[in-house]
Order: sequence, then C-alpha cells, then structure tokens
Amino acid sequence: MTPRRPPLARRLGPYAGFSPAVVLFGGFFLAPLILIVLYSFWEVVNYNVVHHWTLDNYRYFFSVPTYVTTMWDTIWVAALTTVLTLLAAFPLAYWLARYVRPSVRRPLLVLVIVPFWTSYLLRVTSWTTILGEKGVLNRFLEAIGVIHQPLSFLLYDRPAVILVLIYLYFPFAALTLYASLERFDWMQLRAAMDLGAPPRTAITRVLLPQIKPGITVAVIFVFIPVLGEYLTPQLVGGTRGVMIGNLIVNFFQGAEYTRGAAISLLIAALIVVMLVLFRKQLDVADTYGR
Amino acid sequence: MAGEAADAVARHKRLVRSALAGWAVLIYVFLFAPIILLVLFSFNANQYGTLPITGWTLHWYHTAFSDFEIQDALKTTLSVAFEVTVIATVVGTAAAFPLVRSNLPFRSGIRAALTLPIMLPGLLIGVSLLTFFTSVLHVQLSNQTVVIGQAVYVTPFVILVVASRLEGFDRSLERAASDLGANAYQRLRHITLPLIGPAIFAGALFAFTLSLDEFVITLFLIGGGNTLPIYIYTQVKFGITPEVNALATMLIAASLTITAVAFVAPGMVKRARRRRRMRPRAVTET
Repeated sequence: MTPRRPPLARRLGPYAGFSPAVVLFGGFFLAPLILIVLYSFWEVVNYNVVHHWTLDNYRYFFSVPTYVTTMWDTIWVAALTTVLTLLAAFPLAYWLARYVRPSVRRPLLVLVIVPFWTSYLLRVTSWTTILGEKGVLNRFLEAIGVIHQPLSFLLYDRPAVILVLIYLYFPFAALTLYASLERFDWMQLRAAMDLGAPPRTAITRVLLPQIKPGITVAVIFVFIPVLGEYLTPQLVGGTRGVMIGNLIVNFFQGAEYTRGAAISLLIAALIVVMLVLFRKQLDVADTYGR
Repeated sequence: MAGEAADAVARHKRLVRSALAGWAVLIYVFLFAPIILLVLFSFNANQYGTLPITGWTLHWYHTAFSDFEIQDALKTTLSVAFEVTVIATVVGTAAAFPLVRSNLPFRSGIRAALTLPIMLPGLLIGVSLLTFFTSVLHVQLSNQTVVIGQAVYVTPFVILVVASRLEGFDRSLERAASDLGANAYQRLRHITLPLIGPAIFAGALFAFTLSLDEFVITLFLIGGGNTLPIYIYTQVKFGITPEVNALATMLIAASLTITAVAFVAPGMVKRARRRRRMRPRAVTET
C-alpha cells in the first residue's frame, strides 16, 4: 500500500524556514495583539482586568469630547502632514529625476537619506533648540530685526508638531516619488505639449496618472506612521499638540488598560483598513521596479 | 514673432529650472540644519547647549565619556543590539527562503502579514507586549524583554532585504552544484551563502542600526536599565544639554559609519572575492 500523499514531514519541509518566524511573530506579536483585542472588550475593576464582556471601553472613548476631538485632530494632523510632505518632496524629486545629471543624482539622493540614518529621537529634540524661545530661529529673527520679542508659538503647539513630522517623514516621500519619476519617459510630456497641451495640463493628465502608484505609497508611508506618533507630540507639542498616541500612553500609565486597548485598536483598525484598501499599490517590489 | 515666443518659452523653462534648484537647496538646508546644529553645539562652551556660541571646547565630550550612566547605557544598547541582530538575522533569513522559494498559497498575503510589525505603530507593539509580559507571562521587564520587542520590529526588515536578493537568485547554480555532486551542506556553504551573503550582511547591519536607535518599544519594555535613546530621552525632557549634544554627535558619527560600511562593504567583499578566485565575471555577477 503506497501512501497517496508524501508524509507530513516532507510536505512541510519547504516551509520549515518559517518556524522561527512563527514562534517570534506568533508568540510576541500576534498573541499580544489578540490580548489587546480581548482587553478592549473587558473591564478594569480595582486595577485588575476582569473577564467581563462589555463595549464600555469604546463607549467611554466616544463619550468624552476631548478624546474624540483628539482622534479627529490626529487624523487631521496626519492628513495635513502627508499633503505638505508630498508637496515639499515632489519638486525635489522632479528636479532630481529630470534636471540633475545622473552622476550627481546618486550623492544627492544619499543626502536625502542621511538624516534618516541619524537618531530619530535626536532629530526631534534638535528642533527644540531651533524653535524654542531662546532658540536659533528666534535669535536669528531678532538679530535681523524682524521681531523684537521672541515668538513663543513656534514650539509646544501644533505647528511645531506638523513641522517636525514633515521633517521626519520627508525622506520616505522624496525617495518613493523619485523612484516612480525616474522611470517616467519625459518625451511623453514633450509630446503632450507638442500636441498643444499647456504644461500644467501635460503634468496633470500625462505625468501624474502614471506616477499614481508612487504617490499612493508615499501617502501610506507618511500618513500611517504619523497616526501612531508618540514622541514628536510629546517633545515639541506641549498640551495643545497632543495626539492619539499620547492618549494611549496616558491610559496605560494610569493602569486603565482596557480603555487604552480600545483606543489602540481603533488606530490599528484604521491602519489595517488603509493597508487593505491600498494593498495593490503597496507591493513594494512593483513600486521600486526590483 | 516666432523667435520671440521661443525665447519666452526658453526663459520660462530656465525660470522653472532655477526655481526647482532653489527649492532643492532650501530642502537640503531644512534636512541638515537640525543635525548640523547638534554637532555645532556639542563644541560650544555655552552650558545651555544653544546659542550664543561662547567659545569652542571638547569639554562636553570629556564629561560624556566619563559619565557612568552613559557608559552603562552604551553597554546595554550594544548588548541589546547584538542580541537583536543575531535573532533578527537568523529568523529573517530562515523565513526569506520559503517566502521566495516555496509555492506558498496566499504568498502575497503572508508577505503583507510579515510586514505588519513595520506598518503598525511601534507604540502598539510596545503597549501590547508590555501587557502580555506583565499580565499573561508574569515576567519581570528587563533587557531581554526589550530584545524580544525590538526583534519583532526589526526582523521584517531583514526578511525584506534577504527576500529581495533571493528573488534575483539564479537557482540553476544550485542545481549545477548538485549535479556536480555537492551535498546539501556543500551547496549551501559554497553556492547559496556566498551569493546571498551580502544581503544577509546588509540585513544584519540594518537590524543593528535600527536596534541602536529604537525608542518607543524600548520605552515600554525596559526594566531597570537604560539604553542610550532612553537615557537621552530622560535628559532632554527638560531641555537639551551640551553633554547630550556631544553624545548625539558621536552617535551620528557611529551610525553614519555603520551605514557607509553597509553600503560599501558588500561591493568590496564581492570585488575581493572576484580578485582572489579569478572567476569569470559572469558567474559572480548573478
């Protein structure tokens, strides 16, 4: 009697390489996430989590106006940061891809990445020395006589948060946009204009549709991490720059685990929905033409 | 008339070009100003670590070097980074093989799932692991909990780096080795590893630098110790100090060196090997 299928061990053989990853991600990524999901439907009694099913954590979050406002503000900050980052990055990527000699391009691209390779924490804190009341920017403006008193709104408010977030995520956007612009055939723009299209029409009707996947990836790479930012609002945001990440930390530090879990899941759900929606464009291999 | 119009177009084009170049200059200033200022202030005698510049000194480097807390934090950071690198490289390389080579059902789905730890905010990994460690496993927070948390976040990067290299791998080379009598070990040792070695090395260095810099996950999972980012965080909460600037400058120098090595080393190893074995170019080039 011969077995119809090869023995289990052989069938699983090709997948053996996954086993360490299954242990690592199953045990320390998936299991904790499932725990958080469960927590968000349980409640805390006397600082202990009780396995009593409830929707109160979610209800509580939506019943406190400050929290709901913070959530909308976070989404709004993420959206604004994304738009501004892309608007700042596009001209640079366009210039690099179209007008810069290939030999100079590479070092200039590396320069865009270099800040990304220096400490994240330090890049955030350095802005406090620039934007603070005794900071570089205020001193400079005073020295050239534009202002006579230091501007205090520069730091510890929402504009500072957005500026620093643009700074942090700029390399992602610039590189992604560059990667798709690099493969664009510039003759097509010329052809469109030869056929009578004004430059703006040529760009919006010929160029932009073709680099749309790159734009989508850039949006994802900026928008999603910004949603979960904690450090930037913490260090440069002050009380008015609070984002949802800070709320989550406050809940967990205050031993309100189940409420913190509910907010975490709201953010995670938002991210997963976005990832599923943009699944196709997110195939990195495709975007970078590897 | 026609000449004038052509002139106008040419002028307009030049204008667009110089506007774009000007914008690029502004962007580079924006990108580098914070980093250059950190470095500048680390040599500034002013004890508040900001303007004005009151004189040049190496004093802050001296204090940073002789600070025991910094020395401890450096030791912790390096030992954590080492362990994370070993785990991430082994787990990531092992997973990259079946991801690329087996005819897995739902491969793109599995791929997406494996990158989820990168896409979800580090905050969520930190918070969920903290809860898991303290209330389910009942383990004390320590450097080991940090290692696990960072490994979850760093391993997907190694998988991506190694997998992208494996995708361009010419498998007929392995088949040729087997045909010529190589056993599985010899094939791995002499064919597969040398060819994907640079990618594994790059992935390992990537893992190391990511671990050195990791902040959010570490903040939640660290026990009594401090890593350098956590130490710096406790210092700068109340304003940046010149010692931190000096430390920052050294960290920047270190991570730039590691990155430069990561970019340059694979090419150099390849070239050295090529020279040593005098193999025909076509074989090593795959």
